[in-house]
Amino acid sequence: MEINLVKLTKSFKNVKGKEVSETIAVNNMDLTIASGELIGLLGPSGCGKSTTLYLISGLKAPTSGSIYFNDENITDLAPEKRGIGLVFQNYALYPHLTVYQNVQFPLDNLKVKENEKDLILESEAKRREILSSRGLLPLIQNEKRKEDYTLTSLLRAIAEKFETSIYMAKEIISIDPDGENGLERIKEAIKRSEEKSKLETDKLAMKGLTVNESYEILRNGSPREIERSLTKPEKDARIRAVSKLVQIENLLNRKPSELSGGQQQRVAIARALVKRPSVLLLDEPLSNLDARLRIQTREEIRRIQQETGITTIFVTHDQEEAMSICDQIVVMEKGFVRQVGHPQEVYRNPNCLFVAKFLGTPPINVFYGEIKEGGLFIGEEKIMNVPPTIPYQKVMVGIRPEGFLMAEEAEGKEKVLTLECTNVLTQGRDLQLYCTSPYSEEGTIKLIVDSDIEAKTGTIKFALRKNKIYVFDSVSGERIEI
Amino acid sequence: MDEKRNNYKAWFYLAPVLILMGIFTFFPILNTVYVSFLKDYNVSTGVHKGFTFYNYAYILGLAERYEGSGVYNTTFFSFSGPSAFWNTMFITFVTVPISVIIALLIALAIHNIKALKKFFQTVFFMPYVTNVIAIGMVFAVIFANGGVFNTIFHLNIPWINPVYATWGSCMTVLCIYIIWTALPYKILIFLSGLQNIDQQYFDAARVDGASKGKASRRIIIPLLSPQILYISVTSFITAFKEYSSIIGLLNRSYSSTAVASSNDLYTIVYYIYDMMQGTNWTTSSQFASAAAVILLLVILGFTIVELRISKRLVVY
Repeated sequence: MEINLVKLTKSFKNVKGKEVSETIAVNNMDLTIASGELIGLLGPSGCGKSTTLYLISGLKAPTSGSIYFNDENITDLAPEKRGIGLVFQNYALYPHLTVYQNVQFPLDNLKVKENEKDLILESEAKRREILSSRGLLPLIQNEKRKEDYTLTSLLRAIAEKFETSIYMAKEIISIDPDGENGLERIKEAIKRSEEKSKLETDKLAMKGLTVNESYEILRNGSPREIERSLTKPEKDARIRAVSKLVQIENLLNRKPSELSGGQQQRVAIARALVKRPSVLLLDEPLSNLDARLRIQTREEIRRIQQETGITTIFVTHDQEEAMSICDQIVVMEKGFVRQVGHPQEVYRNPNCLFVAKFLGTPPINVFYGEIKEGGLFIGEEKIMNVPPTIPYQKVMVGIRPEGFLMAEEAEGKEKVLTLECTNVLTQGRDLQLYCTSPYSEEGTIKLIVDSDIEAKTGTIKFALRKNKIYVFDSVSGERIEI
Repeated sequence: MDEKRNNYKAWFYLAPVLILMGIFTFFPILNTVYVSFLKDYNVSTGVHKGFTFYNYAYILGLAERYEGSGVYNTTFFSFSGPSAFWNTMFITFVTVPISVIIALLIALAIHNIKALKKFFQTVFFMPYVTNVIAIGMVFAVIFANGGVFNTIFHLNIPWINPVYATWGSCMTVLCIYIIWTALPYKILIFLSGLQNIDQQYFDAARVDGASKGKASRRIIIPLLSPQILYISVTSFITAFKEYSSIIGLLNRSYSSTAVASSNDLYTIVYYIYDMMQGTNWTTSSQFASAAAVILLLVILGFTIVELRISKRLVVY
C-alpha cells in the first residue's frame, strides 16, 4: 500500500482563560511512502511525529490536507475502515483478556469481503486432505513420543502442519487415527466426508448452483462477493498463524500481566497484524524496553515486516533505532519534514544543521567559522579550500567525530585544526577524545580516533577528512554546498 | 532501643483516636453482642437474669413474648407477611443492582459526550448535596394523591397515602427514591474511574473496529471492574442499613412507629431503632442488640460472598 500525505496540517487550539493560542503539530507535510517499505518517523519529542502517525491511523483528524492510500482518499474514513494495524506506545493490551482473546478481539469485529464460498465443501476437502496425507500418522506418533506431550500440544502441531484450525485438529484426533485399526477408521472418515460433500453439492445443485475448484459458489457462472464475519475456525487459524509469526504460541493462555515487556510487545504486534492490515503503524514501540531487548525487538520488527511485506511506519526519537532498521527515514522538527531518505544517505548528506546534529552518536561537532579569502576558516586556521565564487560570510561548520585525523597523519599538512584535548576515553575498538576550542558551539568536542594511536591530553593538531566537513548557513541552518 | 522508643511515640500519637474509638466504637460493638445474650435486661436499672438465646429466638419469631401467651413476634422476621428482614432484603436486591446499572450507563454517557459535560456532571451530582429529608418531602409531593406523578400519567393511585397506600405502592416509591438518591455518588466514582482509564484503550478498541457499545461492554466495563466492586460492596452495606429514607418519605406524623407499621415498611435498622426508642424501650434493648448482631452477620456474609466472586471477575 502506497501512502501519500498531501499538505497535511494539524493544529491544536490551546485555550487558557481568554487567550487562545495555536500549536501547529504537523505543518503542511508532503510525504510519499512506497509500498512495502519500513519508514522511520524520527525527531525530538514534540516534533509532530506521533501526531502524523495518529493522523494516518485516523484517530486524529487533520486540520487540512489529505491522506491517500494508493489512489484512494481516506482522509475522512473512520480508523477501523482504513485497514491499519496500530501498536501503541504502552501496548494497550486488554488486561482482563488472555493473549489469545486479545489477539482475537479485532477479528470479532472484522468483516471480510470475499467471494461467497461453500464452507462445508471447503472444510470437508481439507479434512480429506489431512486424513489422506502420508505425514499425518508419523506426525502424531512423533508428537506422542515427546517428553512434554499433551493433547493440546498434539492438536497445535497438527493445526500448524496442515495450516488449519484447532477445531479441525480435534475432529481428526477424535477418530483415533493412530490406534488399533486406525487405517480403517481413516478410510471410513474419508468416506463419510465424501458423502457429506456429495450431499452438499446436491443441495446446491437443487438450487441451481455450482462451485468452482476453490469452492466459490457460482451464480450464473461467476462468483458473488459478499461481506461476512469470520467463522470460529477461521479466526483460530489466523490467530495461530500470526502467533507463530511473532513467536508467542506458548503464551496464548496467559494474561498480559504475566508477560515481560518484550512479550507484551509481540502480542501487541500480533493483535495489530491479525486483521491482515495493509499498513502497520508503530508508535515508539521500543521505548518501554530495556537496552538489550530493544536491539533484539527492533530486529524482530524488521524480520516480521520483511516476512509480511507490509508497509510499516515506525515512530521513534532514537536515531540509532531508526537508522538500523528503516528503509527510509523522515527527520522531523517542529512539525516540518526536514529531510527524507535512506538512513545512510541522510547521515552522509544532511541538508541542514538540525538533521546533521540529530543523527549520529556522538553527535556532530559544530564550530563557528568564516568563509573568506577562498578558504573555510575556524579562528585563524584554514581547514578547507573554498571556490572564490562564494562570498565572505559567517557560517556554522559541522565536523563528524570520525572526521578527525591524529598527529602523524596531520604532520606536514598545512590545513589543520588545533584543539585542546582534556580527556581520553578508551572504548576498546576506538578512543574517544574530549577536546575544547574557543570556536566550538557546544563547548565540548567529542571525537573518535583509532585505538592504535597514542593520544595524550594537551594541545593536538588534527587533520580533517574533507567529506566529514559540512558547512551551514549561520542563520537559517541550511547546508551550503562547497 | 530506638525502635522501642519510637513505638511508644507512635502509640502516644494514636492515643486520642484509640481512646475515642474505644469508647464510641469498640465498646459499643462488644456491649451490643453482650446485651443481645442477656435475659430480661433493663436498660435503666441494668438488671438482668443471666445469659440466654431467648432474644434471638424471640425476634426470629421462634419463641413467645410471654410464656403461654401464644403471641409471636412477626415484625422482624416472618414468612406470612412483610417483615423488617425481608423488606430489607427486597430493598437491597432491587435497588442496588438497578442503581449500579443506571449509574454505569449515565457515567458512560457523560464520559462520551463533549458538550455540556460539566453541566450534566453537576446536574447528576445535585442529589448528593441535597438533604435526605428535603428530597423525601419533594418525593412525598410528587407521589401525593393529586401529585405530579398521578397528574402526568392520569393515574389515581394513593402511592404513599397514610390510609389507602398498600405495601406494594409504598415500596415502589421507596425504591425509586432510594435509587435516585444513590445515583450521584456512584456516577461520581464511575466517572473518575473512566477518566483514569488510559485513552489508549479507547483508541485501541476503535482501531480494532469495536462499536461504542461493544467497546464499553467488552473492554471498558471490565477495566472499570475495581470501581464496580467497590460500589457494589459499599452500596450493599448501605442498603442493608436503609432507614432514613423511610422517615424522609413517609414520616408525616412525627411518631416513627406509626409510619412504618401502618404500611409494613419496617427495615432491620428501623426495627432496631424502634426497639431502642419505642414505648417499651427500657425492657426491649436486648432485642435491638440481637437484631443488630443479626444485621452484622448478614452484611458480613454478603460481603464475603461478594469478595469471593470478585476474585474471579475483577482485574486490577
